[in-house]
Formats: sequence, C-alpha cells, structure tokens
Amino acid sequence: MEVASIRPLLAVLVSAAASLGILASNRNRTIRETWTFAAASIKFIIVLSMLPAIFRGNILTFKILEITPGIICSFRVDALGIFFALVASVLWIITSWYSVGYMRALKEKEQTRYFFSFALSLTATMGIAFAGDLITFFAFYEMLALATYPLVAHKESREAVLAGRKYLVYSLTAGALLLFAITWTLDRTGTVAFTPGGLLAGSFSSKELLIVFALFIYGCGVKAALFPVHAWLPSAMVAPTPVSALLHAVAVVKAGVFGILRIVGFVFGPELLDSSGLGRLLAGVAAFTILYASCMALAQDNLKRRLAYSTISQLSYIILGAALVTPAAYLGSIMHLANHAMMKITLFFCAGVIYAKTHLENISDMGGIGRKLPWTLTAFTIGTLGLSGFPPFSGFISKWLLCEGAVEAEGWVFLAVYLTSSLLNAAYLLPVVFKAFGPPGTKQITASEKGIALVWPPLATATLVILFGIVPFFILTQIDLARIASSSVFGP
Amino acid sequence: MTPENAPVLIFLCPFVVALLLPVLRFDKRLAYYGAVVALAASAGLSYWGLTLVQNGTAISHFMGGWLAPYGIEWYLDSLSALMAFLVTSIALIVVFATGETVEREIGTVRIPYYTIALLHLSGLLGMILTRDFFNFFVFLEVASLTAYALVATGDNVRGNMASLRYLFIGTLGASFYLLGVGYLYAGTGTLNMTDMAARLPGFIGSRTAFLGILFIFLGLAVKMGLFPFHGWLPDSYAHASDSASALLAPLTTKVIIYSFIRIFFSVFQVSVIEQFSLDTVLLVVGAIAVIAGSFLAFVQTNFKRMLAYSTISHIGLIMLGIGLLEKTAFLGAVLHILNQAVMKAGLFLIAAAAAHRHGIRDILDFTRLRARMPWTLAAFILIALSMIGAPPLFGFFSKWYILLGAIKTGQHWVAVLVVGSSLLTALYFFRVLERIFFTSPPVSETVAEAPWRLLACTGLISIALFVFGLLAPKIFTWGLITLIPKGL
Repeated sequence: MEVASIRPLLAVLVSAAASLGILASNRNRTIRETWTFAAASIKFIIVLSMLPAIFRGNILTFKILEITPGIICSFRVDALGIFFALVASVLWIITSWYSVGYMRALKEKEQTRYFFSFALSLTATMGIAFAGDLITFFAFYEMLALATYPLVAHKESREAVLAGRKYLVYSLTAGALLLFAITWTLDRTGTVAFTPGGLLAGSFSSKELLIVFALFIYGCGVKAALFPVHAWLPSAMVAPTPVSALLHAVAVVKAGVFGILRIVGFVFGPELLDSSGLGRLLAGVAAFTILYASCMALAQDNLKRRLAYSTISQLSYIILGAALVTPAAYLGSIMHLANHAMMKITLFFCAGVIYAKTHLENISDMGGIGRKLPWTLTAFTIGTLGLSGFPPFSGFISKWLLCEGAVEAEGWVFLAVYLTSSLLNAAYLLPVVFKAFGPPGTKQITASEKGIALVWPPLATATLVILFGIVPFFILTQIDLARIASSSVFGP
Repeated sequence: MTPENAPVLIFLCPFVVALLLPVLRFDKRLAYYGAVVALAASAGLSYWGLTLVQNGTAISHFMGGWLAPYGIEWYLDSLSALMAFLVTSIALIVVFATGETVEREIGTVRIPYYTIALLHLSGLLGMILTRDFFNFFVFLEVASLTAYALVATGDNVRGNMASLRYLFIGTLGASFYLLGVGYLYAGTGTLNMTDMAARLPGFIGSRTAFLGILFIFLGLAVKMGLFPFHGWLPDSYAHASDSASALLAPLTTKVIIYSFIRIFFSVFQVSVIEQFSLDTVLLVVGAIAVIAGSFLAFVQTNFKRMLAYSTISHIGLIMLGIGLLEKTAFLGAVLHILNQAVMKAGLFLIAAAAAHRHGIRDILDFTRLRARMPWTLAAFILIALSMIGAPPLFGFFSKWYILLGAIKTGQHWVAVLVVGSSLLTALYFFRVLERIFFTSPPVSETVAEAPWRLLACTGLISIALFVFGLLAPKIFTWGLITLIPKGL
C-alpha cells in the first residue's frame, strides 16, 4: 500500500539545511561540527522511523513536482531504497567523528568547504535512495557528482586538481548519457516511475534496447566503477581518507551500484534482461571487472590505491549478482551492498589512521606497524577476513548468497569468478596484515593510538562486521529487508 | 488605465523619463533614482499586462485611434507580455544594482548615460510590443543606436573600436531587415503584421517573397549574434563598461530572438518555414553555434569575453529548440530565453563586482577572489551550475524540454547536441571554478565584498534560479495553452 509521507523529504533536506548551517558557522568550528553530528543523527532517526512501515509492506511516497503534464517527480521509499539509506546514514554518523578527528589531526585547510560538501553529498545520497522515478534519481545523481568534486580536489595540489578534473569528466559525461537514456525512455513508454519488474517491455526494438541499456549502464557504471570506466576511482584516492571511506567505498560508488540494481529490477526487469541476453552481457563485463581489478590490486603498493582496486572488484560482485537476474543473486547483491560497505569503510578508516599517525602510505613501509597501532590493525584484520569471505564475518553471508545465485542461474563461469576472486581478495589483503604484524622495517616509526576520535570509528565498523556475521537479530533483519526488495522485483 | 492602453503605458514609463532626465540635471543622483522608478513602474505595468492576457487573450492598441492596417497597432499577448515583463524586471535589477558601478565608471556623464540606457530599453519594449513592420524597424534602430553608444562607454580605445565595429555590422543587419520588409511591402501592400499574415499565402510562391523573407532572416540573424554573424558581439560585451554590458548582454539579443519568433511563427507561420527549409538551416547553424561558441568560450582569459561566447553558444541552443518545430522544444527555447536573460544578468553583475572593487577581469586572477568575495562567489557557483543545467535549477528545465522535444521528433543528433552543450558549458565554467577554488591564492586576503546593492541583486538572482526551477514546469504547462504558435 502506498502511503503519503513527508519523512523522505525531511530525511533528504536535513543535511542540506545543515550544510547551510556549516557555512554560516565558519568561524566557530565546534558549532560547525555540531551541525554535522546533529544532521547525521536526525537523518538516521528519520530513516529508522520509516522502517516499520516498510516491514509492514507499505511504500512511503512524497510528490515533488509535475515536470510535464502527467509526469510526476516523487520520492518513493521502498525496501531497496531504505536499505541503502540505512547503510549510508549509519556510516555517516561514524564517519563524522572520524572526519573531525582526521581533519584536525592533519590540520587540513578549508575545513568548512569540506564539511559543507560532505553534508551535501549525503543529501544527494538520500535523494538517490528515495528517488521514485528516473528524473528524480538523475537530479540527485548529478548533485552527488557536483558535491563530491570539491572533496576530491580538496588538497588543491596539482595531483588533486587533475583527479578532480578526471572525476568531473567521467561523472558529467555519465550524467549526460543517463539523461539521454531517461528522456528516450520517457518518450517511448510515457513514464519514468520505477516499476517493480520493469517498465520497458515492448517499447524498444532489440537494437535500440542494446543502445538504451548501454547508456543506462554507462550512466550508472561510472559511479559503480565498472570496467572500462573505472579509472577515476584510483585517482580519486588523493582525497582525504574520510572521503575515500564514506564516499568512495559507500555513498558514491554504492549510488552507482544502487542505480544498476534499480535499472535491472525496476526499469528493464528480469524477464526483458533474460530474453534479450543483455543480463548475460552485463554479467560478462562485471565478471571481467572483478578479475581485472583484483589483479590490479595485487600490483599496488599504495594502500589506498590497493583498497580502491579492491572496491572496484567488490562493486562488480554486486553488479554481477544483479546481472544474473535470479532471486537469490539479487538478494545476495543487496546484502553485499551493505556488507561490503562496512568492511571497506573499516579498511579505509584504518588506512587513514595509519596515514594520520605515521604519514605512511605504502604497504612496503608498514612493517611492524601493528605493534604501534594494535587496535587499528585488529580492525583491519577483521575487515580483511570479512572481505575475503571467511565466516563468521558478514562478508561470508553475502558471498554465499551470491554464489548460490550463480548456481541458480547455472552460470558456472560466474561461480568460478566469485570463488577465484575471493582467493585473490585474501591474496592482496592478507599480506598487509602479515607485514604489519611482522618484523619492523628499516624506517623508525613513532606512533601511538592516542586521540579517541580517530581510533574508535574503525573498531565500531569492525564490530558491525562481526555483528552482521554472527548475531541472528541483525542478520535476519537485514536479510528480511533485502528479501522484501528482491521479492518486489521477482515476485514472492 | 484601461486595459487597451497597457501596451503603450509599459513603453511610455522609460521613454518619458528618458526625455525628462536631461531637464532634471540639477542633481545627478536624480538620474539614477529616475531610471529605477521608471523601470519599476514599467515592470509593474508589465506584470499587470501579463495578468490581463494570462488566459491566452490579446490586447490591441491603435495609435491615435487609426485602425489597422492604416494606423500602427500595438499588441500585447502572452508571449509579448512575458518578454516585456522579463526585459523590464531584469533592467530594473541591473540598473538598481549598478548604481555605484555607474558612478565610478561613467562619472560626470551619468545623466546622458541613464538617458541612453532608458532609450535603449524603450527601443526594446517597442520592438516587443509593436505589430507593425516599419514601426519595428524604427525601434530596432532606436535600440541599436543607443546600444552602440552604451558600448562606447568603455573607458578605453577598445571600447570605442568595439562600438564602431558593432555600428558597421549592426547597420548592415538593420538594412537587410529594411530591405526585406520593402520586398514584402511591395508584394502585399501592407505593413501590419496581422494583415501581412492574411495576405501572404497568395504571394508566398514568388521570388519577391523569398527575397523578403531571406533578408529579414539575415537582418535578424546579424542582430541576434547568430553564428556566423556574431563578430560584433564578443568585443562589444567585453569592452563596454561593466554597467553597460550588464544591461546589454542579458536583454538585447534575447529580444531579437523574440522578434524572430514573432515574425516567423505568427506572421510567416510554420508552413512557410518548412517551405524554405528554414528549420534545417536553424538546426545546422544552431549546432555549429553551440559547439564553436563553447570552445571559443573555453579559450578566453577575459571573463566577460568568455560570457559573450557563452551567449553565442546558448543562442545556438535556443535556435535548436526553435528549429525542431515541436511544441515541447519550442517552449524549452522560450524558457531558455528567460533563464539565459536571468543568468547572464547575474553573471555580468558578478563580472562588474569583481572589476569594481578589485579590478579583476582576468580569469587567471580569479583565485584572488576566493577570500575576498565569498558571498558573490556563492552566487556565482549557483548561476554557473544553472548555466550547466544542473537540476533543480532553472537552467536544467529549458534544456531538458528541448532534449525531450528533440527525442520526440526523432532527431537524435540534436538530442546529443543538447546534452553535449551541457558538457561544453561545464567545461568552461568549471575552468573558472577550478581557478577560484582549487588554485591556492598567492597571498592571503581579507573579505572585501561588492557594494551591497550589487551583492543583493546577484544574491536575488541566484535564489530566483531555485524558485524559477520549481516554477518552470508550471510555466511550461501554462505555455502549452498560451504560448504555442498556430501550426506547431
């Protein structure tokens, strides 16, 4: 049942309002940071308050405006949307603490601009999660690209500016193509509202369908860092680590993946993707991306870049799951969207702590660092094990579901890709752990885990990784929500 | 104030005050206040006119009681009322905002400046409101001659050279127009637009009619700065005084585009446009203008020159919207006229602000503005994003309607261009933004904002972009009923 509600609008606007507050309190950083925390907490509470209605099977809607007669832009909170919103809003709270600790520890400049852009990015992310139609989705998608640009170029160094340019070129081109596809869809079908099970059936010839599909996937694939439009992500690692953590492991890239889940489930629909063979095409690209990015990760010495390639590979896990178009794979995709988020943000947090405390970026220099920063590296180890798919961490559950999906789709090659890649995950992340807890390197390292703001966030997210891997309440709630989303697409 | 007088009253406010200003020269400040009051009254009357014709009706006024086709008819319908309101309100904002700038730039000759500015605006309003081909020419000349003078207010030789160049090319354009009107008059024996529309079908096949239409098109193309007839435009806008360019750039070319729509869609009508394949011409020329204008904007170092090339590119986009001959795209083009006027006013005011306090005109120096003018730059970000077409700002909607229209007609290459024009606009605006925000300034600076009127008006414009963004779909729905010319 659809229920009109203003709560989605409030959840989106609360951080936009906070961003203005942040600008206004430029002079006093305590007040400025209060805005961030208040917005993060209120946003989380609003999102959480919508959850019971979703579990009852309702959908919350809010009409924004009628863009042409009969075509309405709206928010529409369904299970998939609120799932993504929950992931982003929980992790924003933790990242806010971490941001403050990190930015102050490194005495970064232009912190007001940083927190302003960060709040706007979260507004855009919420908008993407709650968008009820393609045009609203596009609007917030563009906003996200524009709001994250200042964060990528934050350092104002040559490298940062170039990374910012690269990011803009990639994401604005993607936005333009996406808008083209959306407008074409509107012209052919007369609607742009997300429809569970798809809305395109029978409106395009098979050749046009390929073009539209390519445009949509390019449009979302850039943010999801799908090969061959992934190159901006490793470059964007020049951004401050909290940005890499929340935006380049959770909000931005997951917005791309979320977009692909929407397009697969609510625009094209499983039947059309199956019958046209486009699902398999996407699956092939995603499978290649998984292996390619895993191999690239092996070759990186810079920790953040290694994590970035790992992100590219893990994002394609989700895309591959969606592209297999079976209920189990789609379910696994949604689950992995959350689980990868908490594991990868843990790893990035740790990389940031290491950088803030020791100014080390390269793995080869990190020998023995585990003794200086024991808690941090413990969190890192948990993230590593989870990402490689070891039980009892949350990564195991979603990977298991994804493999089940591959079996259900009889995609044996894809099953092999999943399994191989899990080995590769371990191969490029475990050496970091061994190195850190191994003998000290030639460089003298002085560091300690003083300063709670920086140290507890990775531990908190690592705890989440364990909670969602062991505690039945968390696992079942998560899986129930994902199941509602998946069954709205595939039927119960 | 009977409704029949509305078209004339809108025009008379600035015109009468323009003639009064030289008489009231005992206090120089009076010129400024006189201009503001005249424009405020005119804007109020335009708004009243807009409410009178909002359901698609029209008001005719016959000058001196001489009925058309013998006398001169003035005419207010939804489109002309909308344009009159746009011109008067933008002019009001610009004139109000540039008070200090005019004092600094124009100095002692402020009274003639305001007289000329008001005459220019009267000329524009006359072009908007008249229903007579020759009367239109008169106002075209009034607006043009005053525009040459406004360009010459630039404080150096380059301003004068630009003015001279504008004069040569502009006169050529006006002559083309007059020649065209001559041919049509020879063939139909009338100068009234309504009458011409009725008589034209019997005569349209002749060579005279073809030449008439061709010359009118060429004349207007020169005057609106349509590529490749844009040569006068960049220099004029870049080298005119900041106050004058803020007044000229948003309005003059837009009014000519309006006149083009008026003459070609309600007098000649769509069948004639199709007969002469003018739609294809518009699409091709528009496409070249979009691409060439954007790239030329990208390589400029002078901020106002960049904005001038941006104008050329966006005129091309408007022509694309018109050339598609499709309702949605047509309304997109009309909306684009509106938002270009609003945004260009904002951008030229920002250029004036940067030059006024800090003498900064070069994009490469813009990094020094970051700490000095935070509020002006906040407005600049919003306007730039709207220019690029970021939703939900005003600039998004017009582009999107043109895009939708292009896809509806199946002209996918036009759709690609429309989408591409956003990217190209992003190219040259992000170049400036990057310069401001991501290039570390050489020395640390303190805040020194623009004068409050200038700041308030740029702020007002940037906030209006949000408001109009939310209103754009409503204007669109309203326009579907009232603005669509017959035959589309």
